[in-house]
Amino acid sequence: MGGKRKKSDDDDDVEAEAEASGWKKKTRTTSEREKEKKEPLRPSMIKNKEKRSELHAKLKHQKKLEKRAKAKARDAALKKALELGEEPPEKKVPRTIENTRELDETVCKPDDEELFAGNDADEFGPILNQQQTPKILITTCRFHSTRGPAFISELLSVIPNAHYFKRGTYDLKKIVEYAKKKDFTSIIVVHTNRREPDALLIIGVPDGPTAHFKLSKLVLRKDIKNHGNPTGHKPELVLNNFTTRLGHRVGRLIQSLFPQDPEFKGRRVVTFHNQRDFIFFRHHRYIFETKEVKKAESKGKKDKDGESENVPEQKTIARLQECGPRFTLKLISLQHGTFDTKGGEYEWVHKPEMDTSRRRFFL
Amino acid sequence: MPRTSTLECSGCPPLRALTFDALGLIKVVEARDKQRGAPQVVERWGDPESSKCVMAVSMIDRESHPLLAVARKNNQIEVLSPVNGDIQATITDANDLDVQSEVNNIVGLHLFAKQNSELASRDCTLLTCTTKGNASIRSIELVDSSTVSSCIDSPKIWNVCSGGNILCCKVDGNEKFALFGGKGVEMNIWDLNNFTKIWNSKPPPKDNLGIFTPTWFTSATFLMKDDHRKFVAGTNSHQVRLYDMSAQRRPVLSFDFRETPIKALAEDIDGYSIYVGNGSGDMASVDIRTGKMLGCFSGKCSGSIRSIVRHPELPVIASCGLDSYLRLWDTKTRQLLSAVFLKQHIMHVLFDSNFDVKGVDSLPCKEQTPTEILVSEEVEESPLKRKKSSRNKEHIPDGGERKKRSKQSKERKKSEGNDGGEKIASRDEGSRSASKKRNKRSIPVL
Repeated sequence: MGGKRKKSDDDDDVEAEAEASGWKKKTRTTSEREKEKKEPLRPSMIKNKEKRSELHAKLKHQKKLEKRAKAKARDAALKKALELGEEPPEKKVPRTIENTRELDETVCKPDDEELFAGNDADEFGPILNQQQTPKILITTCRFHSTRGPAFISELLSVIPNAHYFKRGTYDLKKIVEYAKKKDFTSIIVVHTNRREPDALLIIGVPDGPTAHFKLSKLVLRKDIKNHGNPTGHKPELVLNNFTTRLGHRVGRLIQSLFPQDPEFKGRRVVTFHNQRDFIFFRHHRYIFETKEVKKAESKGKKDKDGESENVPEQKTIARLQECGPRFTLKLISLQHGTFDTKGGEYEWVHKPEMDTSRRRFFL
Repeated sequence: MPRTSTLECSGCPPLRALTFDALGLIKVVEARDKQRGAPQVVERWGDPESSKCVMAVSMIDRESHPLLAVARKNNQIEVLSPVNGDIQATITDANDLDVQSEVNNIVGLHLFAKQNSELASRDCTLLTCTTKGNASIRSIELVDSSTVSSCIDSPKIWNVCSGGNILCCKVDGNEKFALFGGKGVEMNIWDLNNFTKIWNSKPPPKDNLGIFTPTWFTSATFLMKDDHRKFVAGTNSHQVRLYDMSAQRRPVLSFDFRETPIKALAEDIDGYSIYVGNGSGDMASVDIRTGKMLGCFSGKCSGSIRSIVRHPELPVIASCGLDSYLRLWDTKTRQLLSAVFLKQHIMHVLFDSNFDVKGVDSLPCKEQTPTEILVSEEVEESPLKRKKSSRNKEHIPDGGERKKRSKQSKERKKSEGNDGGEKIASRDEGSRSASKKRNKRSIPVL
């Protein structure tokens, strides 16, 4: 009896939904009335597991069908528009956390001349204007083993003009002094905990800022399938999505680690991609290949390819091969001046009270 | 448990603040709305240049002929008008005895508001102090040009410390005594009449483990305007100390505040509460009589606080620092009133208390319940009008405006009382009057 009623109600429900989605809002009132009836129909309300799973499967199946029908309708509309030469219906953009990001006034606008003046005046100016070549000192925490040294050897292959120094028992402040004397431009400290690198400290040397990153998801070169081996050329650098004032600063800090004149024939690229405040590091080699474009492929493409349908076309594609380590960084703090835990002034610290929204990002 | 709903800033009363940043820019932030407006940058003076980074500022905050002195990183001191930013005098410290180096920046600057009798009114007197401890007092002549002007008489130069770095320098309310302290320098108090050291502090004893923390004062302030004997100092080892010259040379009271060095201290006008800001952006107000914290100012402040300033009349304090925000707080509720993003690291902030709200002086002043604030505002209605005051007069019928004003004043008075019930009442009244106001305002616009 109960099952029967359920079935009939269910059909009503589907109809109402179809109406509501396809037609005007007039039907909204009826569907709302239906809602009160519909309420006891949720699968979670049914206690019998068999019946519940049955209903659940049914709902799921219906949803799938609807989705498929929608996609079909969309495709048909697109095709029709193409045939008639009309403007194709606008593609819908899914709402993601990034594009519904909270409004942030610190996001830099490209026409902000004060920003560029500020950038020119900062600590990385001489390096980024190529008046000074970057020279990096890499060291570790006091104790490190296994993955730490392996990671460092790979970092040395990624960053040109980087020199590894054994930490010994020196204070970090002493090391900073030494680096100042020897004209280093940055110091990278790899911190290892339980034989696993877990933090990265980047110190700009004469008086630059100190950034403390959490390091996670480290995959070394030998663990990457089909990895390539990088050449000794100076890499190209890609910095993605560093938008805010703080992001620009961190981006410039990272940029100052690499030489500003990449050797393009090395076809080697280092990427720092920021997404939701996580900075993803990737290291690739790329190659351009020419390839004949098939007809079927071009048909599937949009109007541009549609015009030159008949001509078999030579197309250049880029192929990527990953090499080098792969890891993720998250900024914990940015300190003004060189490393000083006790008397340091922070430009930015992560505080728990800032984590009140998933849609707020700082970089 | 963090706050999960977004907190709306309530806006701040009409005020005017000047901020000084790392590129040497001076920005004027004004909140002009009489109700509760969001402040915004209205003017920007100077060109961005890193060598012009502002190191110290001082202002004579008076009705007629206010003056502002700015010391820059290239050891240049500019005297300008805080009204329109015209440079009235520029002096360079090149004639100093010491070798000019980057370490010898000016850290302390004070403009004397009280004129010496023998000096003409067009001159001003400056106290400067450099990192190495070279203090000097000089009088300069104000000319309306940006050429380097010379001192009238030879500056009085003396040395306040033999070693170490001076980091903080303050002059008390009567401008008779000056206070110096810094890294490796204990607190000194100098008599400015005859340039003698009258007092210096003594470091606290070693603790029970025999550990002595080296002297490193980072900020200081006198507790009261007319009392030079009590002052508060903040140290690099996150300690806040109260000194009383008349009692002892060691601190009368000291307490720890969080874990990063104290970077800014400001006193309240009531003479016992102080505001503390530290290197990681925490800010709190403390009752210095007991050393108990009254409460924290929480509002996503993430960068080191460089300067805290109390408004001379309104219950508002401003803080600024390396997170490039100017934040305005209510002193009583400790809530954030508003925050302005200013793009650069801000070194200092100052309030201009003689800021006239637009249209205030054009209104009839017949209040049944005049409040403190309104009285003080009316007192300021001087023959000198700020240039904005005349421009933005509103053409609203007198009666309506008067009614509005009285309501507003009532509101203010109520909000000053700490009674909870009254607050609620005033709040809904406020919203009612606000809505009325909105309606009325829309009429002349149309």
